[in-house]
Amino acid sequence: MQVFFQTIIGGVSLGAIYALVALGFSLVYRTMGLVNFAHGNVVTVGAYLASTFYLTAKLPFAVAMVVAIVVTAAIGLVIERVLRPLENRDFDLMLIGTIGFGIVLDALVIMIWGATGRAVPSPVQTAPLSLFGLRIRTYDLVVLAIAAVATVLLVLFLSRTKRGAAMQAVAMDHEAATAVGIHVGRSNAIAFMIGAGLAALAGGLVGPLLYVNPALGGTLGIKGFAAAILGGFGSIPGAIVGGLAIGILDSFTAGHFQGYSELVTFLVFTVIIMIRPTGVFGERTVNRA
Amino acid sequence: MRYRIAALAVIAVAAWLLPYGLDSYAIHVVNIILIFSILAVGLGLCMGIGGQVNLAQVAFFGVGAYATAILTTKAGWGFWVSAVLAVAATVVMGLLVGTPALRVQSHYLGIVTLGLALAFTNWVTNAQIAGGAEGISAIPVPTIPGVDLSSEYLYYYLELIIFAVTLAFGLFIVRTALGRRMRAMRDDALAAGSLGAEVPVLRMTAFLLASIYGGIAGVLYAGLIRYVAPESFSIANMFLLLAMVIIGGRQSLVGCVAGAVVLYLVRELLVDYPTAAQIGYGSVVVLVVVFAPTGLAGLPPRIRQALRRRRGGAGEAARLGEFRPYEAVEAAAGDEPILVADAISMHFRGLKALDDVSLSVDPGEIRGIVGPNGSGKTTLFNVISGLYRPTRGRVRFRGRDATGLAPYRLARAGMSRTFQNLRLFGDLTVEENVLVALDRHATWQSWRYVGRPISVLRRDRDLHRRAGEVLDRYGLREFAALPPKSLPYGIQRRVEIARAMAAAPALLLLDEPAAGLNGEEVRQLSEIVRSIRDSGVTVIVIEHNMGLVMSLCERITVLASGKVIAEGLPAEVAQNPAVIEAYLGDSMSSDDLPTLPEVAR
Repeated sequence: MQVFFQTIIGGVSLGAIYALVALGFSLVYRTMGLVNFAHGNVVTVGAYLASTFYLTAKLPFAVAMVVAIVVTAAIGLVIERVLRPLENRDFDLMLIGTIGFGIVLDALVIMIWGATGRAVPSPVQTAPLSLFGLRIRTYDLVVLAIAAVATVLLVLFLSRTKRGAAMQAVAMDHEAATAVGIHVGRSNAIAFMIGAGLAALAGGLVGPLLYVNPALGGTLGIKGFAAAILGGFGSIPGAIVGGLAIGILDSFTAGHFQGYSELVTFLVFTVIIMIRPTGVFGERTVNRA
Repeated sequence: MRYRIAALAVIAVAAWLLPYGLDSYAIHVVNIILIFSILAVGLGLCMGIGGQVNLAQVAFFGVGAYATAILTTKAGWGFWVSAVLAVAATVVMGLLVGTPALRVQSHYLGIVTLGLALAFTNWVTNAQIAGGAEGISAIPVPTIPGVDLSSEYLYYYLELIIFAVTLAFGLFIVRTALGRRMRAMRDDALAAGSLGAEVPVLRMTAFLLASIYGGIAGVLYAGLIRYVAPESFSIANMFLLLAMVIIGGRQSLVGCVAGAVVLYLVRELLVDYPTAAQIGYGSVVVLVVVFAPTGLAGLPPRIRQALRRRRGGAGEAARLGEFRPYEAVEAAAGDEPILVADAISMHFRGLKALDDVSLSVDPGEIRGIVGPNGSGKTTLFNVISGLYRPTRGRVRFRGRDATGLAPYRLARAGMSRTFQNLRLFGDLTVEENVLVALDRHATWQSWRYVGRPISVLRRDRDLHRRAGEVLDRYGLREFAALPPKSLPYGIQRRVEIARAMAAAPALLLLDEPAAGLNGEEVRQLSEIVRSIRDSGVTVIVIEHNMGLVMSLCERITVLASGKVIAEGLPAEVAQNPAVIEAYLGDSMSSDDLPTLPEVAR
């Protein structure tokens, strides 16, 4: 039992990271129906930027994160602007376009930071807490808190601000949204920007948990995507639940299957998608004839 | 045609002589390019022709290569036996990876296949039998009596022949019935299904083809390099392969090959600057999808078009011909209704789109279904044609229970339909649209492509002849080679009816066939529908144009809020108080008002 709970706790902090990645995917998807395959690479860029400002420029961890978020948000804007001619026209092409951006970002990361990775020391130096005989790292709690705050802010933005409401409108019907004077392109750009910012947040936070290397974002991206689908693509609570579920699944498979954990995770994920393609919170979309 | 054969001969001779001009390193590069070309053709068939996003092609490649390596080194079997088994193993893998395509599409499929590809790399880097991260070396040289395949020059000829055969086979599929059906499914799976294309089988066929090509490429790779390791089958290579297909032009197999050749050569040139090369091809992918979605393969037609435009308007615009009526058939005495809907209810969550709707249509009838917008007419069609499974109730078609049968099964049983918002296959020509409907062969019979290619060709020629007849009858001959999207709306409507009739149905469902047509076109439409009925086909038509409905239909069923509120002869229905209330009472301002004046003529 002890081991069981310890495994869950081990999975939760990474799960929160997956949830942040999934939120980015979901936000872009619900706004423009597009899956941003470059999202994982944006996570890598965010992780490297945050670690560079933290380690090399010696900025405080929080400031380093903010800088990383701003820079990656700008990258998100660029991606959206370049692919804008395809918006609402051909999603398969847009999907491939984002893969193209992913290829470019991947190469840029290697060009700037090299192919080797780096370890980021934890910014929180206190000893792990002990609760009912379970060890909880303080940094894990920090990650959870930040992820929770980010989610709450995102939900508030979407439900309480005019800009957020406009984005919801675009998500429902982009033509009707245009007709009532919403700038669809700008709304999509903001979605992309926030999505990229969330990716950087995830990347920055994961630095002290994992080893920062060029392949980091690929794994996080795919697992985050799996999390988004698992929860129900486009749904915000779904992203959170899916993220935590994948994190915990990951932690169990790592314990039981060692090197094969990735294989098992993806097989389980595939089976779940086959059984319930719309995920836990997903809406069943009716294909209209 | 003669030019083509000459060009082909020149290419063949050049390919045959190529090794004489190359040093040993260059021939190695050429050999790898050929392998990538085969992979790209396989991916093009799956993604470009079948429309199935497949990011596991590199895993198929890996399964082929690893299976060969394991069977030759660990089991000690001969190379060719292992090769056959390896391709078989890849096919099994391909069908497994393709299964999710039955449930999910587009980006979902992308992530699932990508995940499975990662699972494969994860397995080979860990499994003892696959040699872990070091891989497997010392794969024996494949042997052919009298030919020393350890020489890369001779290996080139082996690859060249296999490449030529696989490319020709791919082109053969694309240009004939199977490929046409796959392209139709890519453009619009729903419409393809309601014309009798077995969508699930076709999706699996796409993955089957991709895996065969992947497996063959893998075997050749194992025989050429004689060493396999996980990094050859990484996601980076998957994206490189994807870039080849996109840059080359995914809808053209020759384009895929061109993409593979160009991209690999560029990568080879920049071998000392791999990251620069990666930035380069990544950017080109982005530029291609934005500015030239058809890739390299799309350039020649574009140039030709531009030239023609500069030369000025030669030839005149195609014109719509007269409809030539069907020969009237003496109506078989209707003993039994052709379609019975029995107490159908269809609920979407809380919304009751249909509530206890019953309907019975006799053979040889033209039945009108009218009702205000949102009254459930199209939902009823969707239930009848199998797109929705009703929450309650049964549908009987030609005396058999047809509730919730897949659309393609209903289509094969003799039901055909058109769609409210036109669902023509956008990237097929008008003729091909008709051909898809004409083709009634089951997809599983596609084994003939391997076993009896001549019979496939003969059948295709026959289909073309019959398509010509259909186009002539509907006056569409001059539009045969044009994409439907380039045609005026009224003509597109007519193409859709021609396509639905090409499937030789017993029951034709028309969903608002007069929407967007002008007065003259409506008159022609009513003539066409009458002639269709006279040829022995039962017609059910949903229509808002009351003039047309009143003059055309023998019986009318009126729906309102998902319920049948009246049924009977046109004149009776028009005077029914419930009908008048439904139209005038709650949708006064809508355009559903019966516009009787249009009856004139």
